[in-house]
Amino acid sequence: MRIETCYFCSSKVYPGHGIQFVRNDCKIFKFCRSKCHKAFKKRKNPRKTKWTKAARKTNGKELTQDPSFDFEKRRNIPVKYNRETWKKTLEAVARVTEIKEKRSREFVLKRLRKGHKVEVEMDVKDVQKNISLIRSPAAGLRERKAKEAAQEAAMMSDESDDEKIEYVDARTLEKQLAEELSSDQEMVELNE
Amino acid sequence: MGKPQRRKKMHFGDTHLQRRWRTRNRNRDLDLIDEDLQTKSEQLIHQNVDLEKPGFAQFYCIHCAKYFIDDHSIQAHYKTKVHKRRMKALELEPYTIEESERAAGHGSFKQPLRRKIETQPSKEEFASGKRVTLEVVSSKEENAMES
Repeated sequence: MRIETCYFCSSKVYPGHGIQFVRNDCKIFKFCRSKCHKAFKKRKNPRKTKWTKAARKTNGKELTQDPSFDFEKRRNIPVKYNRETWKKTLEAVARVTEIKEKRSREFVLKRLRKGHKVEVEMDVKDVQKNISLIRSPAAGLRERKAKEAAQEAAMMSDESDDEKIEYVDARTLEKQLAEELSSDQEMVELNE
Repeated sequence: MGKPQRRKKMHFGDTHLQRRWRTRNRNRDLDLIDEDLQTKSEQLIHQNVDLEKPGFAQFYCIHCAKYFIDDHSIQAHYKTKVHKRRMKALELEPYTIEESERAAGHGSFKQPLRRKIETQPSKEEFASGKRVTLEVVSSKEENAMES
């Protein structure tokens, strides 16, 4: 007995179930139910049809690469019956499925953890954006204004102490400067 | 607005497309076309004269698996949406029976590769050395293309 896989959704096809289509190049397409067969006839792409295994794996929803997948394979050489190997195989099958399930569960949890992180980030952003809803921007406005007024007053009092500005005619200023320069030069010469 | 807004469906699955989905109307599948592109492109561009086929089998579009009657019509076809859509569909490696098995957990699943697809060379271009190539686009380039 061989359990086949559906071409479209990759589920199991037990003997006596489903339908198969043989293309004119001898390739056999097996389908688990009429839903998959119809989708195939409509030329739907299994990778783009969300409910198929292929779609889930191409879109990174499920564990794709793992050594635990390598146990189950199509083997065309029959194994002669041996009670011992039969027993061992059954034990191994149970163990392998256990490990596989554990790993795939872990993979999904890891994937979902990212969503939680994004959620927290979004919440922080939301609060920063709409902070006005929580704390009024006018809160403490009066005190702030009083503080600012006090500061300004202090500044004004500082300014009153400043030197008085004298307005001088441009020509007189030039003369003054020239005199200063000449006196400076004299001083330099005297020093020498 | 007195009429019923949405009529009851009386004929489920009764569509004009039903005829197109019949087995006799099946044409070449994408995985076969992909094989053609990889191995048989030369023979398909230079086919022997076949009086039964349109255009005596001299104008064949490999991507769409279709014969045309003359050079003018095949050149026009290259500019159509049908052809461009087909080229886009061939960019990703086609889905196969093996992939369905890998998806079921028989062996590790491989992500399909993305290739660069160009319209096939004409006979003159073929003579001057142009060939059908299926270059694999690396994931870095892919990201750049998307952004």
